[in-house]
Amino acid sequence: MAFDAHGDVPDEALMVLYANGDRHAALVLTRRVTPRVVAYAARLLGGDRAEAEDVAQETMLRLWKVAPQWRQGETKVTTWAYRVATNLCIDRQRSRGRKRQVALDDAPEVADGTPGAEGRLQEAGRMAALEVALAELPDRQRQAVVLRHLEGMTNPEIAAIMEIGVEAVESLTARGKRALAAILSGRKEELGYEDDTDAG
Amino acid sequence: MQDDLDDLLAQAARRPAVPSEALMERVLADALALQPAAPVMRSVPAGQGFFTRLAGVFGGGPALAGLGAAAVFGVALGYLSPSTLNYLTGTSTDTAEFFPEADFLTTEG
Repeated sequence: MAFDAHGDVPDEALMVLYANGDRHAALVLTRRVTPRVVAYAARLLGGDRAEAEDVAQETMLRLWKVAPQWRQGETKVTTWAYRVATNLCIDRQRSRGRKRQVALDDAPEVADGTPGAEGRLQEAGRMAALEVALAELPDRQRQAVVLRHLEGMTNPEIAAIMEIGVEAVESLTARGKRALAAILSGRKEELGYEDDTDAG
Repeated sequence: MQDDLDDLLAQAARRPAVPSEALMERVLADALALQPAAPVMRSVPAGQGFFTRLAGVFGGGPALAGLGAAAVFGVALGYLSPSTLNYLTGTSTDTAEFFPEADFLTTEG
């Protein structure tokens, strides 16, 4: 497809191209960064997809505005975007003072790669259970677990996003995972892990 | 449960979220609306050549023309012999030969 012409160009270089009027760079950045921010925000907001999309649009809006002053080598575009999205999600959670419970219908839409209706149902059930369990975590633990285990960020990157030290990140991630395991252990049989030979 | 959790997290990480087309269109529209214009190469305006800028240093074209005319008149006065000067001014002047050997410089005809 045409927008793959900048496929090998790093995000940071695309920012410079965008600021210099390259419309193609705008398209590539949109397609690269927006889905990640939506997924991340949906997980922080307990699966509220509409609100996650609002956060993603606002994050990207701020990215476009900061582009003319962008300095290559100082920070990664994704790190910057996750940090902005984190703050926007925190603001929304505070202002509304609520923590939404995730329903199956609220779970983020995902690409369908699992063969078989039964397998899809079981995977969808597990993903929904994970979203529910994530929503029950304290905010900071949820941010750390999502960034580390779902978004694939390194601990130093997470530290930059959450504006804390690396040791604090390690502590939050470990405590978050223990809490997740405790929440999900009560639903082990329901999620089909008893019969899963490849689930460990 | 820890291994199951690791599997579950890995499974979730492999499932990319698919944002709605409407969101992608809104984000792209914002990007294009806020994008700075591409820089345009502009040629140097006509009339800003070397001689125009040089004339500007001396106060512009008319001033430079006056300066040139005065210089030419000064050279002419220096070149003309005293007898011609007497004719032009209606007076008589005594001459003194400071450099007799340089007469050939002022010889007329």
